Amino acid sequence: MQVFKAMMKVTRRWLPSALVYIIVFVVISIFASSSSTKENKFEVTKLDICVFDRDDTPESHALIELIGKNNNLKHLEDDKDVIIDALYYGRVDYALIINEGYAEKLGNGETADLFGSYHIDESFSIVYINQFLEQYTSSVKAYLAMGKPLSEAVASAENVLTQESEVDMFRGNDEGNEHFSVAFSSYFLFMPYILISAVFVVICQVLVVMNRKDLRFRTNCSCIKNTSYSMQLCLGSVAFVMTVWLFLMVVGAFLNKEMYSGRAWLAVLNSFIFSLVVAAIAVLVSCFEPKQNVLNLITQVIGLGMCFLCGVFIPASMLGDNVIAISRFLPAYWYVKANSMIAETEPYSFDSVMQCYMIQLSFAAAMVVLALLVRRVKYSGAAISTSVKKIAANS
Amino acid sequence: MTDTVVKINDLVKRYGDLIALDHFDLEIKQGEIFGLLGPNGSGKTTTINCLLSLLSFDKGRIEIFGREMTPVSYDIKKDIGIIMQNVAVFDELSVYENIDYFCGLYIKDKEKRRQYVDEAIKFVGLEDFTKFHPKKLSGGLLRRLNIACGIAHKPKLIILDEPTVAVDPQSRNRILEGIQDLNRNGATIIYTSHYMEEVEQICTRIAIMDKGKKAAEGTKDELKRMIKNTETITIEILDLPDKVRKQIASLDHIYDTGFENGKLTVYCSGGKHNLLRVLDVLQKNELSFGRVYTELPTLNDVFLEITGTALRDKED
Repeated sequence: MQVFKAMMKVTRRWLPSALVYIIVFVVISIFASSSSTKENKFEVTKLDICVFDRDDTPESHALIELIGKNNNLKHLEDDKDVIIDALYYGRVDYALIINEGYAEKLGNGETADLFGSYHIDESFSIVYINQFLEQYTSSVKAYLAMGKPLSEAVASAENVLTQESEVDMFRGNDEGNEHFSVAFSSYFLFMPYILISAVFVVICQVLVVMNRKDLRFRTNCSCIKNTSYSMQLCLGSVAFVMTVWLFLMVVGAFLNKEMYSGRAWLAVLNSFIFSLVVAAIAVLVSCFEPKQNVLNLITQVIGLGMCFLCGVFIPASMLGDNVIAISRFLPAYWYVKANSMIAETEPYSFDSVMQCYMIQLSFAAAMVVLALLVRRVKYSGAAISTSVKKIAANS
Repeated sequence: MTDTVVKINDLVKRYGDLIALDHFDLEIKQGEIFGLLGPNGSGKTTTINCLLSLLSFDKGRIEIFGREMTPVSYDIKKDIGIIMQNVAVFDELSVYENIDYFCGLYIKDKEKRRQYVDEAIKFVGLEDFTKFHPKKLSGGLLRRLNIACGIAHKPKLIILDEPTVAVDPQSRNRILEGIQDLNRNGATIIYTSHYMEEVEQICTRIAIMDKGKKAAEGTKDELKRMIKNTETITIEILDLPDKVRKQIASLDHIYDTGFENGKLTVYCSGGKHNLLRVLDVLQKNELSFGRVYTELPTLNDVFLEITGTALRDKED
């Protein structure tokens, strides 16, 4: 196991890069899981408003009550400096002054100079509250024009403005499966990017080193068999991938606050199979012996490309038919599909999940066959002959 | 048990129309330091690659330790050590880990391996650098590490492919002494180099390769005897009339003369007291001269005469 041990030692060099990806992912997942609630309710934004009533009439009181229904009323000392300080430090968003004679002017249908205000320029709260006041006074004015007395016009306007629109957040399925919630499935959903990044950054680099021409030359001269060498490299790659996968599974169990059970095991198996796919792709990429900067580029193209096209970062339901048609040729699509079915955001069928597994395994097998072909061509006698011939021709 | 370590019979290797090895024969005896000389394209590297079964060949047979060498002759490979021109070590492993890794490809027993690795480290003088990584080592120390990786498993046959390229004189001497020590400890050595003086210094037998063929083979003295030139006399002289030069050229055992930049060069082939006879001609013609020196033929002269060109000229 000399080659395996050396491979593990070489792995140490690139481990920090992989750890960065994994730690960032775990930290984000921890935050996401602690902030996620089962009720993703729509909530209207409320402003912190202080009102100075200098009219002190039933109409002005009615307006303050209405403002208080949709906003948080704050009390401040009626002092310009205090108000400006409060606005500056964000304790209030808007300071409204109901001018003296408000009720009288409103009764006469006048809308000018009813209010004064203190606010921070270009704040969205100005637009919001000004729009509200304009709507309110216009409504009162309209009811007055209809011949209603002021008290009734105020009540009617209040009635109109307190009507709320019903907002529903669109979700396919809020709960998910009993053992595999939608919230938990998102941890598995983002796993492909981390697996690709962490595995590529280590395995590809390590395999490139282990297959460096001068080192391979020395190894080929030794009494270690080629098959044994390749097997040990394969074992080393799988060991690393499985370590990363196992770590992510353990973290997943902690985030889930309980051990995997029921259908969650299907998701675990799904991620295991995808890890094998990633390992196979990494082996194939390493056969081309890319330089480090090229490898970083390949990692990002494969990682981000696959995740964007296959519904990891953007839900598959939002992707176009053409994109979906392309993504079917990528293993991440089948990973995401299986994950969605297990979480029941898509209709669940055990056979379909198995089909997704098989397709992913087929991808892995295809990658391994391709890698073997590339290696055969690269390290064949013909390739060596060509390079020797070039040297001879140049001399 | 035969004392022939390497036997190459009628080896032919073609790359399309290019014949890299043209019916090449070679026999290396146990305990020899065998020098393989030749410019790029002469077939030197191809010979080594065929010898190690890294390349297939079109015709011929290679035997090492009396057994036929094939890509799966692992029992033969375990007794071969290879030290290449390029330093082939892992940058990611320390000096000790590197030697241990390459030794471990041959030696499975941990205790034995530890002992061998320690001995190799001591042999190349890297005791103070065992925990260093290759990038922290100087060029000379790197070469020593490269050698330690190739010899740690105590091979009986060691192939050194230009191990002293770009090495400072001090490290070069140490490497050459090391090679001789390995030989004294019983290893047979195949040594390729562009530096003729190195080959001359350490090799017991030498083969000169050119265009895939063995141009000459023998000990350095045997090789030198193969060529016409036995002595080159150089005399610093201000002026040399053509008449005197003709007199010198007509002397016995002198086959060529040259006069350039105040230096008379006389090429001799055999004979005795050639210098005295040349100086006698100069004195009789009352010509004064400055420094006088004679040179015995070098391997470069041998190579020049056999291949028609100097080795280093070809390299350049």
